Amino acid sequence: MTTVTFDQIAQSVINGATGTITKQVDALLEGGFTAREILNQGLMAGMAVVGDRFRRNEMYLPQVLLSAQAMKSAVDFLKPKLLEESEEGQKAHGKVVVGTVKGDMHDIGKNLVKIMLAGAGFEVIDLGTNVSPQNFVEAVRANQAKYVGLSALLSSTMQNMKAVIDAIRHEPDLDEVRIIIGGAPVSREFAEAIGADGYAPNAASAVDVFKGMEAD
Amino acid sequence: MSMTSRERVNAALNHQPTNRVPVGEIGGGYVEEFVQAIIGDAYRTDDDGYYHNHKLLRETLRADIIGARALSPVPDQLVGTHPDWGTPVYRNFWGSEVTNPPEATQQLVKPIAETPEDLEKWEPPDWRTFSGDAIARWKQETDFFVMATTNAGFDLGYELLGFEKFMMWTVLEPIVMRGYYEKLIETNIGFARIAAAAGADGILIADDLAYNSGPFVDPNYLRQDYFPLLKKQVSAIHDLGLPVIMHSDGDLHLLMDDLLDCGIDGLQSCDPNANMDIPELKQQYGDRLTFMGNIDINLLAQGSPEEVGRVTRELIQNSRKKGGFILSASNVVTKYCKPDNVLAMYRAVTETEL
Repeated sequence: MTTVTFDQIAQSVINGATGTITKQVDALLEGGFTAREILNQGLMAGMAVVGDRFRRNEMYLPQVLLSAQAMKSAVDFLKPKLLEESEEGQKAHGKVVVGTVKGDMHDIGKNLVKIMLAGAGFEVIDLGTNVSPQNFVEAVRANQAKYVGLSALLSSTMQNMKAVIDAIRHEPDLDEVRIIIGGAPVSREFAEAIGADGYAPNAASAVDVFKGMEAD
Repeated sequence: MSMTSRERVNAALNHQPTNRVPVGEIGGGYVEEFVQAIIGDAYRTDDDGYYHNHKLLRETLRADIIGARALSPVPDQLVGTHPDWGTPVYRNFWGSEVTNPPEATQQLVKPIAETPEDLEKWEPPDWRTFSGDAIARWKQETDFFVMATTNAGFDLGYELLGFEKFMMWTVLEPIVMRGYYEKLIETNIGFARIAAAAGADGILIADDLAYNSGPFVDPNYLRQDYFPLLKKQVSAIHDLGLPVIMHSDGDLHLLMDDLLDCGIDGLQSCDPNANMDIPELKQQYGDRLTFMGNIDINLLAQGSPEEVGRVTRELIQNSRKKGGFILSASNVVTKYCKPDNVLAMYRAVTETEL
């Protein structure tokens, strides 16, 4: 019987304990817990605390990056098991295409969103940084994605988000694709003004926004 | 009351009356596409083009400020081609390698250090070899307020090291990082010495510490490991007889008392998107700091000239009392900013001149 608990896994996420977290996760798997249980009750629970503390300025970016690194190493470790369990009947969420828009090379926010979404059960296709509107259109179509997540850090490049939205809206076969935007200079008002379907002020809330759309 | 640009900005920094609110941008201030759009056929591409274009631009806008730097004796060195973008990769005088992907912002290709041990061994360039000639020329040939651009240890620190690595090392390697800040700040004090000797009117310390929702890192960390060094930098510049204008993007409310304690004279950016509202900040800190900025870059990109003019006039109305106010865009005037909007912003300021 393992002595590792879900709380300890959550705490390792909060502490950014990349060195120990996979051993703890392995111990829970050995103890008979499913990968989905470990993900939801340990890893995601820990990341939810990180998100809350980050929003309240009780945790700052360096600690969040260390937490995300620990979370990623644990999710990578669990991935084969999660896929097995999905095939056994777990319903996965829809596919999300994410990327930082043309002209912008920043990827921290986008990477955090990617980790959080993957952890929450979404299949994420990451197009990287400096992505053109046409590449978004092609990736959405090729992957039959339901959602698009657009990121920008610069007030100059956030203007390119509208070009992506216009390009996707221009394609009749993609009219049901929902587009969510986020990034430091972006606001809810800006999202509405350029015709986005949703706005996420930070990585933690992005998961809630995507889940909310899944429930619609 | 007639005043030169230099007199106007100096008066604002000293909380004295001016014949209008001073206006201008920090650093380069405007992307070249914008400069070209404003001065049209007069835009030059020869060796002296930058000086000619930026002087004419400021004269056209009736801007009061020019930014200039101490310049490296060694030009950036071409070291290869980026495998993905096919763009040239340059090594700069700090030792990092960068490239400019098509239509994108500059990208770090190789940081100055991969490991903490590398960073401990890293040495900055010798500031004594840098030239203040560009600064001296602006001072001698124009009456703009010459605001020499320097940096400190934080923003420059993550530009040279890579943002994620820098942020994580603040937690994992605090002693190494403190040594790193010391080297960067000493070098930038050196750049300020060169600027002062060349006749600069003030020193800009450009050092982004925050994003729109607050500081990047725990304020307590900054108090322990960073602000004492920044305070030393500001004090060294004051010893040169020059005022210090600090630039940081983002919401700085949690750091305001610390920045005041560092002794800065002015604070630039004050981006409304980051909850930094100059009329409100002036109520609390206006007797101790000059505030600069506050015109939203998104307004300049998306608004109309009428809207920009109205917002600018309201800002002047609410901020000019008791001096200590310089108007600027809250960030670099990019090519997305509509030239008519920027002209409207400057016109709304200059038309109030007494």
